[in-house]
Amino acid sequence: MTRHSSSADMAAWVARRAIGGSGSTARELVEFDHADLGYGKRRIVADLSLALCSGDHLAIVGPNGSGKTTMLKALLGILRPMSGTVRRHADVRFGYVPQRQYVDEAYPFTSLEIALMGRYPLLGVFARPSRRDREAVMQCLDHVGIADLAVRAYRELSGGQKQRVLIARALAAKPNVLVLDEPTNDMDLGSEQAIMELVRHLRLVDGLTVVMVSHLLNVVANYAETLVILQDGARVAGRAEDVLSSENLSRTYGIPVQVADLAGRRVVVPGGSYE
Amino acid sequence: MSEMLGSEFMRTALITGLIVGAACAYFGVHVVLRRIVFVGAALAQVSSAGVGLALLLGLNPSVTALVLTVGGVAAFSVQVRDRKHAQESLIGVGYAVASALAVLFVAKSAQGEAHLLDVLSGNILTVAPGQLWWAAGVCLVAMALHALFHKQLLFSAFDPDTAQASGFNVGFWDIFFFVLLGVVVAVAMRLAGTLLVFAYLVLPGITGLMLSRHLNGIYTIAVGAATIATVAGLYLSYTMDLPTGPAIAACSFVLLLVAWVISKFRQ
Repeated sequence: MTRHSSSADMAAWVARRAIGGSGSTARELVEFDHADLGYGKRRIVADLSLALCSGDHLAIVGPNGSGKTTMLKALLGILRPMSGTVRRHADVRFGYVPQRQYVDEAYPFTSLEIALMGRYPLLGVFARPSRRDREAVMQCLDHVGIADLAVRAYRELSGGQKQRVLIARALAAKPNVLVLDEPTNDMDLGSEQAIMELVRHLRLVDGLTVVMVSHLLNVVANYAETLVILQDGARVAGRAEDVLSSENLSRTYGIPVQVADLAGRRVVVPGGSYE
Repeated sequence: MSEMLGSEFMRTALITGLIVGAACAYFGVHVVLRRIVFVGAALAQVSSAGVGLALLLGLNPSVTALVLTVGGVAAFSVQVRDRKHAQESLIGVGYAVASALAVLFVAKSAQGEAHLLDVLSGNILTVAPGQLWWAAGVCLVAMALHALFHKQLLFSAFDPDTAQASGFNVGFWDIFFFVLLGVVVAVAMRLAGTLLVFAYLVLPGITGLMLSRHLNGIYTIAVGAATIATVAGLYLSYTMDLPTGPAIAACSFVLLLVAWVISKFRQ
C-alpha cells in the first residue's frame, strides 16, 4: 500500500502554488452566481454564489436533505439551476466518486472491471476497452494502493477497499477535479484516516482540485480549504479557517460548539459551555 | 428423441424454444440484475392484452402486441428510474389491469372465450415456420443491439449516478434497454406464451448468476440452461403427454435447484 507523507505532500503543494501563483490568482474552475437549485418547483438551495478554484479542497457539509447532493449535481452539470448561473471552465474534467451505498453490488464485477468503467467516457460509441485502457486502470489501482485486489470481486472487499476502487475509477479518465460524495461513511477510524490522507495526496501531489460532500464536520475540518455548511436552511460559506470558529458553529448549529486544536489537529466538539 | 424430431411441428417447436429461450435468457440476466422481474411479468401481460385488443378490432395481433408492449415500456421505465422509492405498486396495477383487459378483449371478440388460452398465450407446438423466422430475426437483432451498446447499457444500470456524471444519457439508455426487452417479450410471448416467457426470463438468469462470477460466463450458463430446459421439457412433454410450456419451465427450475446445490457445495 502506498504511504503518503503529509509533510512531503505539503512541501510539494507549496512548491506548485509558488510556481502557479498565489491562491488569489488561482483559476476559477466552477462558479455559482446567485444560483437557485432544486427540483421542479421545490427550491432546496437559494441564491448560492461560490467559486471553486484550482487546487482547492471544497467541503460541503450538512445533514441529509440539506442540499449537499443538489449542489454536487449542479456542480457536475447534471442539474440545471432554477435561476442564476453555474459556469464551468472549458478545461474542467470531473472524476466522480459516488456514495458506496448506491453502487449496485448485485453485479458480479471485479475491482478492475469497475475501475475500467472510468475509461468509458474516453472510448468511442462502439469501442470496447483496449489493453492500453487496462494498463492505465491498473496504474490507477496501484496509485491508490490496491493493485493486488484487481481480480477480486468488488462485493467481497472492505469499505475502505471499495472506496479506493471507486476513486481509482474516477482517476482513470485523468480528471482535474475529483468529486467525492460521502467517501468516509460507515468506516472505522483507521479507514477514514487512510482515505482522507489519500485524498490529500491526490490534491497536494497530483494537483487535483477536490470537492467533497460529507455530513462529518470533524472529518473535513483538517482537510478543507473552503467550507460550505448547510444547516436548517441556513448557509455558512468561506475559508475553512474563518468558518471553523466556535462562535460561527455555535450560531449555525444552535448549540454550543467548541473548536480546538488537539495534537496538531483541529477538532470540533459539540456541547459543553461556550461564552 | 429421434422419433420426436421426426415430425415437423416438433422440430419447429424445438427451434422456437431454443431461439426464444436464448434471447429471453440473455435479457433475463439483466432483468434479474436490474431487479425488474415484476416488470418482465407485467410486459408479458401487456403483450397479451395487445393480442386481445387486436382480435377485438381485427388488427394484426403481432404488431398490436408489439406497439402496446413498447408503449408499456415507456410507462414502466419511468417507474423504475427512481430506485430509492420502488414503484412496485404501480407496476402491479399495470400487471393486473393488462391481465384483465386481455381476457375482456378476447371475451368480446369473434373467437370468444373458448379459445382464450391458445389465443392469448401462444403455444410453441403451434408455431408456423414463417412466424418462427421472423421472431428469430427480431430476437437476434435485439441481442446484437444490446451487445453493440453493452458498455453504455451496463454502466447506466450498474451506477446511474456516475454514468450520468461521466456524460452518459442514462435516461435514454434505460429506455433503450426497455424497448429491446419489450420487443423480445412481445415476440416471444406470441410464440411461447406468458408462462414460458416469464420462466425463460427469470430462471436461467438466476442459474447463471449462481454458477459464475463473470458476466460472459453468466450469459453462457443462462443460455445453456435455457437450451437444456427446452430440449428436456419438450422431450418430457412428448413422451409423457404433458403441456409443453410448463414442462420446460419445470425443467428450468430443476436446473436452478442443481445450480443452487453446486453453489452451496462450493461455499
